[in-house]
This record gives sequence, C-alpha cells and structure tokens, in this order.
Amino acid sequence: MPAIVIAVLVAVAFFFGYKYYSKYLAEKVYALDKSKPTPAHEFEDGVDYVPTNKHVLFGHHFTSVAGAAPIVGPAIAVFWGWVPALVWVVLGTIFAAGVHDFGALVVSVRNKAQNIGTLTATVINARSRTLFLLIIFFLLTLVNAVFAVVIAILFEANPGAVIPIFFEIPMAIFIGQYIYRTRTSALIPSLIGVALLYLSILVGQALPIDIAPLAAAIGLEARTLWIVVLFVYTFFASRLPVWMLLQPRDYINSHQLFIALAVIFLGILVGWDKLVAPAFNTHLPEGSPFWFPFLFITIACGAISGFHSLVSSGTTSKQLDNEEDARYVGYFGAVGEGSLALGAILACTAGVGTYAAWQEKYVDFPTASSGAVGNFVAGVGHFANNLGVPLGIATIFAAVVVISFAATTMDTGVRLQRYIVQEIAEIAHITPLARNITIATAIAVIVPMGLALYPGKAGGDAGFAFGYLWQLFGTTNQLTAGLALAVIAVWVFTNNRNPLAQIIPLTFLLAMTTWALFINLGKFYSEGDWLLTVLNAIIFILAVWLIIEAIGAMNRARGERDRVRRGTTPQ
Amino acid sequence: MNAAHRIILVREWDAQVSASGCCGRLGGENTELGDKDTFAQNRCEMEAMGEVYRALKAELVDVDMDITVVDPRTMIWLVPTLLRDSRKRGLGIGGIWSQLRRGVSYNAIIVDGKTLFSGRIPTAEVALEAVKEELDLRESELAVV
Repeated sequence: MPAIVIAVLVAVAFFFGYKYYSKYLAEKVYALDKSKPTPAHEFEDGVDYVPTNKHVLFGHHFTSVAGAAPIVGPAIAVFWGWVPALVWVVLGTIFAAGVHDFGALVVSVRNKAQNIGTLTATVINARSRTLFLLIIFFLLTLVNAVFAVVIAILFEANPGAVIPIFFEIPMAIFIGQYIYRTRTSALIPSLIGVALLYLSILVGQALPIDIAPLAAAIGLEARTLWIVVLFVYTFFASRLPVWMLLQPRDYINSHQLFIALAVIFLGILVGWDKLVAPAFNTHLPEGSPFWFPFLFITIACGAISGFHSLVSSGTTSKQLDNEEDARYVGYFGAVGEGSLALGAILACTAGVGTYAAWQEKYVDFPTASSGAVGNFVAGVGHFANNLGVPLGIATIFAAVVVISFAATTMDTGVRLQRYIVQEIAEIAHITPLARNITIATAIAVIVPMGLALYPGKAGGDAGFAFGYLWQLFGTTNQLTAGLALAVIAVWVFTNNRNPLAQIIPLTFLLAMTTWALFINLGKFYSEGDWLLTVLNAIIFILAVWLIIEAIGAMNRARGERDRVRRGTTPQ
Repeated sequence: MNAAHRIILVREWDAQVSASGCCGRLGGENTELGDKDTFAQNRCEMEAMGEVYRALKAELVDVDMDITVVDPRTMIWLVPTLLRDSRKRGLGIGGIWSQLRRGVSYNAIIVDGKTLFSGRIPTAEVALEAVKEELDLRESELAVV
C-alpha cells in the first residue's frame, strides 16, 4: 500500500478525532466556558500570565512537546508490523494523548495555572507528589541513557554527521553571542545558521569521522566511546548558562523541526513509496517480546507522553486566552506529536527499500531496537532523496535533525536531573551534595552513563539492553501520564461529569505497564540480570503505588460526591 | 485578528526550548522542575517587556487593538503575520523585508506590521509614546484610504 494513502487515512482519522471527540471532551467532559476568565486574564502581568493568540500558543506548545522520542518508539515498534504500531499511534493520539494533554491544560487553567506536580498533591494527596518526583527521577535517568545511545548509534552509523553536529555547537554559541550582544535581527543569523549547518553536511560527507580505530586502540567499542564522549560533552554543556548554547541552538532547531516534517510528508507525496514491511510480523524469532503488552510501552511519546502534562500545566495554561482555545492547543498539540510518530512509522516501513531489506533490519528485537533510529534516518533520507537531494547527503541531514533534538533533550535532561539530585540531597541533609553543582552534575551524568553502557546479560549483543531500557523509559513516561490522567479523572468526577474518557486510557495504560513490567521482571530475574531486575522492580513498585493512589483518589472522590448529594458533611 | 490594530511584542519565553517538553522539560520560575536562576537572563527581558505590556494595556484602553506576546523562535506564526500586516500597509518589497528583518528579533515591538523597536526593550514611557504616535499615523493613513 502506498505510504501516502496511510498518511491521508491517518489525517482523516485525526481530523474526525479533533472534530468530534475533542468537541465531546470540550463540551461534556471538561465543560469549557468561554466566558470564564482564565489565569492569563485573572493574573495578567505581561510576564508569565499573558492572554495569547491560540495559533501563537500552539506554536509555543507544539515546538516544546515535539522531539526525538516520538521518532524512536515507533521506529522500534514496527518490529511487530506496521499495523499494530499505526493503530496504537492513531488510537493513542485520539483517545489517550489528546485527552491527557487537553485535560492537563484544562485542569491547570481551572486551578490558577498550577503545575501538575502541585495539582497531584492538591487533587490526589501530598504523598502522590513524592511519587511524581520519584517517577520523574527514574524517567530522566532513563531518558539521558537512551538518548545517549541513540546519538552514539547514529554517529557510528553516519560518521558524516559528526562534523555538522560538532560544528553546530560553536556556530550556535556564535549566533547567540551575535544576537544577544548586538541585539540585532534573529531571522537572518538563524537562517544562515541552518544554511551553514546543512552546508557542513557536505564537509561531513567528504570527511566522515569514524572513531572505531581510536576506540579499538583503547580497547573499546565505537559506541562505548561515543557514549563516554557524549556524557563528557553533556557534563560541560549542562554547566553553561542556557543563553550560551541551549537557547541559540534552539533558533536553528525551531527551523529544523518544520523542515524535517515538510521533507517527510512531501517526500512521501512525491515518491509514492509503498510500505514494504508486513502488516503483522509473523516471523518473530523465539524469545521475542510479544506486541501485547510491549507495544504500548515501546511507543510512549507519539501515542501518549506524560511529560506533556508538565508543558500543558507549567506554561501553556498561563497563556490561554479563553477556555475554548484549550481544545485547539492541547488536543491539536497531541495530534501534531502523533503526526511525527506517523512520519517515523512510514520512514521505517516505506523508506527502507524492499521487504528483504526491512527483514534484515528487523530480524530480531535487539537488532530492531538498536537499529531503529538508523532505520528512521535511512527512511527520511530516502524521502528527501525523492525530493532530489542526493541520498548520502539526505541521510546525513536526517541524522543531523534527530541528533540535534536528542542532544537538546539530553542537555535539558541532565540539568533537570541535577536539580532533582540537589533537591533529594537537601531533603536528606547531605549539604555538600546539595550545594556542589559539580558533584550533582557528575551524579546526573554518571548514573545514566552507567545504564547506557550496560550491555545486558540477556543477549550479550551490544544493542540488547537498549531495547529494554527504552521500554523502561516508555513505562515511566506512561506512569507520568497515568498520574496526570488520574488527576484529571478525579477533577472531572468531582465536578459531576463522567470521567470514563480518562479512566479507560488510565486503566489501559496501568494494565499494560504493570503487565509488561511483570513479564520483564521474571525474565531479568531468571537470566540473573540484577541491574535490570532491580530497576524494573523499583518501577514496578511505583506503578503499583500509582494504581493504589488512583483507586484511593477515585473512591474518596465518590464518597465526597455522595456526601454532597446526600447533603451531609464528613465527620 | 478581529481588532483594528495588531501590536506584537517579541521576546524570548523562558523554558521555551524545542524538544524539551517531549521528555526533559526544563522549567523556569514557578514551575515544578527547574529553578529561577536557569532563565535569569530571560526573566529580566520578560519583566522589562511586561512593563511595556502593562503600560500599553493601561493607557490604550480605548484603542481597538490586539496585543500578542510571541517568542521570536515561533517564526512559523511571526513571519507570515508580519508579512501580511506590512503588506496591508502598502509597503514595497524593500519595506516589507526591512520590517521583517527587524521584527524577527530577540526583542521587538511591532505595530500594524511596522517594527518600532528592534533588539532592545525601551522603557514603558518611551514605548507607549512611540506606539501612540504610530497608531495615530496609522489611523490617519486609514482615514485617507
């Protein structure tokens, strides 16, 4: 089947999801009221609280939530065939992500734009906030580990991308200095930056940097050395002020996001490529994880991502002009992320050439997971080639886009982890750690680096642990989403409306995550893989804790509502 | 836009980093994750533009206007809007380019497609005067048309 047909069908499904389901949510579940003043009006200060045009706000929201994770998950998940991955992305976006992102925004708006962590404490209980922070802690550790592996794999497979990516760093610093110091236009420098970045691809192609000989000379694998280099880079990058590298690079990345989306969908349109992957992969080798329940934790971002609730509730809710805009910004933002996941599925199933080539790339789960992002890059390279870009350059271009986003996520992730390490040290009264940024950063770097370098006992293959680490990352992201959905459900219920729209995805997510965690727990234990066993067990305990809190919160909400209906007050 | 005039205040929004919300949201002040020092530089600019915003809102209550605060990285909205507004004023290609180049800046104040300040945030009084003057000019242009 031509990829463009799939793209059109999914676009139609998203259109109906937005037109009808989000309308139902807006009217019946969240009961949006245009006349109700939003925090942006109530606390309007022109600084944080600013009523903002919904298209502008969508731009702010979407560019924040779109990243590399909705690419990697689907790129792995097509291992089970394109139908399961596609169906989960489409249904997840419409019935889970849309509900979640939209709901987190509405609940925050109705609660003075409080963020989801505070709302968790208010709506569920104070203990849940600790649960929230613990989930975030593990999520960040896993994010930093898996994204380092993703970049290392891409550098290893695309040595032509090394020069452009390392060239981007001083260039971004220079652009930042130029814009901030001369206070001149950002348009031309950022466009020149993108042009120079893409020109440097030619240099990268002519001078590919392969560190395998160097790695071999010191007794390491190339991927291992890249991971170490990346964490050393992140250690220093995360110590820099954000205006020096992180933000100026974002001027380039903001262009790249839309360029990449345009290349994917125009390439599909022009090339009329057919899906070569099977609808359902019936040739799974023995011992492969089954798609049910593992699909639902392999694709987190792209079907539902808990981190979006932090964006919805943290900043977007302070800028919402009127409640009805929440539907467009929140729900449509989730649709945007789903579209990126769709692009990833199509790149890995239609952009890889032939069925035989696809089979080779997805021969077993370790190969599929370690090669997934490379398959996406190859697919996007193929789509760009449909538009007339030479294949070699097109492939490096795709690698550069993914690495740029993954590097940004690593940079922000390590900074965040550092704050959390310091916060935990503060609570535990470990003053030197709480006050010493270098030690805190070192911990924020060393722990995920250890995980990223961990080969895993189960297979011994270099990419083996990555697939499971990715699943654990997906699990923690789903748990964050579960916590946010529980908050939204309780809020909807206490406002005398039907919370089924939240309870169904919440129950489904919690069932899938705990089931997958349980299966993996047994697997890791039986294989004597103690690191993954312990990590899995901790996350499993967090999942069970979340289930208990969610049930308890719903029961308390029901009791409260019954008391109100009976006109009695609690003793 | 339903209002007769569009005022755009361009300035960076703290914590607005592409791809950061996917799975590593670095918050700014008053957010769950992050601290107030991370985006201290942005906070200064945000506060300064906030003063301009509040002055415009307070002093131009009778003007039919729409004020939008936008991050310069949201070029997907900013560029077409600036193009549309400056074309509406009947500017030529050179004029439109000039407004666009100055408008998509680290900091800018734009009134109906014309960039009044670029790269720096004036004091609220200076900004207010300049905006009032520009609105009067625009009204007279519209009256002639």
